[in-house]
Amino acid sequence: MLISPVKVGLLLAVLVRVDAYAQNSSPSGWPIPDWNKPPITDANRKPAPRRSLAGTWGPAEGAGAGTQASGVQLKPNNGKPENQLPYTTYGSELYRSHKALEGADAVLTTQDNDPRNRCEPLGVPRYNHYNIRLTQIFQDGYKIVILYQYDNRWRLIWTDGRELPKLVDGGVEIGGEIREQRFFGYSVGKWVDDYTLEVQTVGTMPEDRVWLDSTGRPISDQVRVTETFRRLDYDTLVWSETLEDPKIYSKPWETMRLPLRLHDPRTDVMEYYCSPVEQEIYDKRFGKAAAGKEAR
Amino acid sequence: MRSRPIVLLIVVAALSIQNPLLAHHSSAAFDAGKKVILKGTVKEWVYSNPHCMLLLDVKGQDGQIVQWLAETQPPASIFPVGYRRDSFKAGDQVTITVEPFKDGRPYGRIIGAVLADGKVLGPATSAPSTSGAAPQP
Repeated sequence: MLISPVKVGLLLAVLVRVDAYAQNSSPSGWPIPDWNKPPITDANRKPAPRRSLAGTWGPAEGAGAGTQASGVQLKPNNGKPENQLPYTTYGSELYRSHKALEGADAVLTTQDNDPRNRCEPLGVPRYNHYNIRLTQIFQDGYKIVILYQYDNRWRLIWTDGRELPKLVDGGVEIGGEIREQRFFGYSVGKWVDDYTLEVQTVGTMPEDRVWLDSTGRPISDQVRVTETFRRLDYDTLVWSETLEDPKIYSKPWETMRLPLRLHDPRTDVMEYYCSPVEQEIYDKRFGKAAAGKEAR
Repeated sequence: MRSRPIVLLIVVAALSIQNPLLAHHSSAAFDAGKKVILKGTVKEWVYSNPHCMLLLDVKGQDGQIVQWLAETQPPASIFPVGYRRDSFKAGDQVTITVEPFKDGRPYGRIIGAVLADGKVLGPATSAPSTSGAAPQP
């Protein structure tokens, strides 16, 4: 049976359409993260792409380098004078009211009041200081999206030129309206040059809902978070953060300068949920024991 | 057999470069730096967030069975270094190295393991090995 030219045309159109949506292949199936990459040297360094942060990124110094269990990366809470923070009187009182499981003033498990242990959203900036492992970044012409591995959370940073909302008491002002506080706040980013994005965030949650880090350092809803993402080369991105929070800290200070390494885009990023049910099981069996009580 | 000393060195090195853990409990409970090797029979392996847990029956020098509960990091952290949901099966004879509680109760956190099939696993930041060498204190 002969096929008419019209049918041949339709068939070709369908084939072309399928090809346009063909997927890239992953020869090894479900690749696991490679934490043993060779260092970037002059011999293997490739130029950074212009105005692109897209990729799957992990701490360049190894899987645990972004954990920040002892406090924010540049100021671990270890009691050393150089790591003391410029607290205001209120900030200092607030810190003392926080009972953390980590840091210089750690308490036993059942005495803590970390919102993390109720699986509350950590908010910005604490997501930047909690177990940064594989972090995926996607972008289009309007925005950048960060997918945090911990608790499978996502965050939007607008890059379409919109203004940062005005920070007011209890929220932000947008077009004359007072808008609600958000765990991730309101973020806008601007390219400082072709390889550096500066991001400002305001309008975050109040200090009775969120902490800065796992050692109980406080952060308030008056914070202005400034992050820079600097693409040094194709494989390296440096994520920095400075906080300005006059309610809690008497001057701005830098929390993080974390180098990230590009991973294979096919890497399978595993779930890392904070599940209240799993948390409860763990607390009953092990957490209570760590507090000096019998468990199992 | 010639490679055994080299393998032991690699395992010891892996155990000594642990990164800080992010605990859902106070780290104050653990005797930091102390290592205890436990050989025993697996009762249960909980492969779950926020921390995996291994229940292990260990026969003491007096012949009495002591049940240890040891934790390690969550699946997303330990999968890349070789731990799996079926790494420990009930009845398996395994050896683990733990950092124990300070107060002497039988709890700890896993920093290395030799599975029933001889596979050696280190802390969550090291690469897995196929050698049968035991974790060293």
